[in-house]
Amino acid sequence: MPTRSSPIKYRPTVWDALIAAAIIALGLLAAVLFYTKNARGGSAIVTVSVAGEVAERAALSQFDGDHVYTGNGYTLTVSAHDGEIFVSHSDCGGQDCVHTGAISRIGQSIVCLPAQIVIRLESASPGDADVIVG
Amino acid sequence: MKTTCKRLAAACVAVLAALSLPACGERKTAELELFAMDTYMSFTAYGNRAEEALAEAGRTINELEQRLSRTREGSEIWTLNAQGCADISPDTAELIGQALAYAAQTGGAFDITVAPLVELWGITTDTPRVPAKAEIDALLPLVGSKHLTLTRSDPALTVFDTAVLDPGCAVDLGGIAKGYAADRVADILEKYGVSDAVASLGGNVYVRGTRPDGTPWRVAIQDPLQNGCAAMLTLSDTFVVTSGGYQRFFADPDGTIYQHILDPATGYPVQSDLLSVTVVCPDGARADAYSTALYVMGEAKAASFWQSCQAEVEPFEMVLITADHRIVCTSGLADNFTEQEDASYAYEILAH
Ligand SMILES: [Zn+2]
Repeated sequence: MPTRSSPIKYRPTVWDALIAAAIIALGLLAAVLFYTKNARGGSAIVTVSVAGEVAERAALSQFDGDHVYTGNGYTLTVSAHDGEIFVSHSDCGGQDCVHTGAISRIGQSIVCLPAQIVIRLESASPGDADVIVG
Repeated sequence: MKTTCKRLAAACVAVLAALSLPACGERKTAELELFAMDTYMSFTAYGNRAEEALAEAGRTINELEQRLSRTREGSEIWTLNAQGCADISPDTAELIGQALAYAAQTGGAFDITVAPLVELWGITTDTPRVPAKAEIDALLPLVGSKHLTLTRSDPALTVFDTAVLDPGCAVDLGGIAKGYAADRVADILEKYGVSDAVASLGGNVYVRGTRPDGTPWRVAIQDPLQNGCAAMLTLSDTFVVTSGGYQRFFADPDGTIYQHILDPATGYPVQSDLLSVTVVCPDGARADAYSTALYVMGEAKAASFWQSCQAEVEPFEMVLITADHRIVCTSGLADNFTEQEDASYAYEILAH
């Protein structure tokens, strides 16, 4: 880079080295946090909606156990543990929601059309998918 | 020491900026969830009039469903199937016109008159079954665009207002209606000046403008073989639709797996060398119809169909996931495509 003649000659100091090390350490920490969060739904938010209205919204990590929701005359049991979430029981006709199995990744959802219940995993992290097609 | 302080300050700013990435702008955000057209739909829009736009989108989709449903008694399509003739609204006329055009372009691989066979197989019901070959052969002659005609009740009309169907035939718009609805949603967002939005109409995706952070929308393609995603597309201002046998299927008592997409030529579920087809193009109804047609065609025919369309006025892009674990992405999407590291596919680019 072309520079103008500078009155100050720069020489690295101990301070510079310390700051550089601190920045590298922070960067590494941020990267590790980011990737461990995104590999599975560690930082995911679970949103359960019934007939288009949000019935529950919670961090996946705090959602462990069984949760019962009723919609359109049908009752679903939604179970969560170890970062996975699935419909363990439903009295709906097609059982599509039960057959969907467990979801664990941001962007995934389980939909029960008869009960009009949707369970979604969401995130605000910029690296995640906004929408899944297929 | 001055230099050191400056550097420290600069480093702090950089770290703060990195930590505050998820912060959103000040624009209004509107969200809508909807159960319509036998599926789940979700919409997120950003802008001053986003709320109004989504309210109108919801109303429009409900109106479309009332006209286009095959099973809703009294709908225009229900009446057409029941009576062989129906008065149709401009929306229905436009949609049927598009469906007939796509049927012609795809050599019948997409065909809305396959409805009698869909009914026979019970594909959309809770109790599908494998019919006898004689039953299928009896219905095959009823499939084909030649059995469906759009007419005008008054020659002075500039648009079609009547649909006529040959006896025994039936129409099902399930393979194109959601795409058409997505087109209408795009029109409504435009009308209200909503610059950024993402909509999913039961897997028919429309992305408009950008994400709140100004980058293109990230559309993940479902892995047909396992929980997770097979690829990521970064896109703006386009429609994305995936078709695949894995989406809905049933097992015969003898253990044979039948998936839900019928080949209009044979009357049987498609035996495709593809697991899924994703179409990306600036027209929702076309993306919907083509995704089904290309899945029916299989890899070789889909590739040559794509080649032939590039020379014409309506090019499109696609991602094919094959049964032998390859992901084939057309060259126009190469810059928008990201491989997924944990998916076990070989990646290829299809060039002109
Ligand atoms: Zn269900």
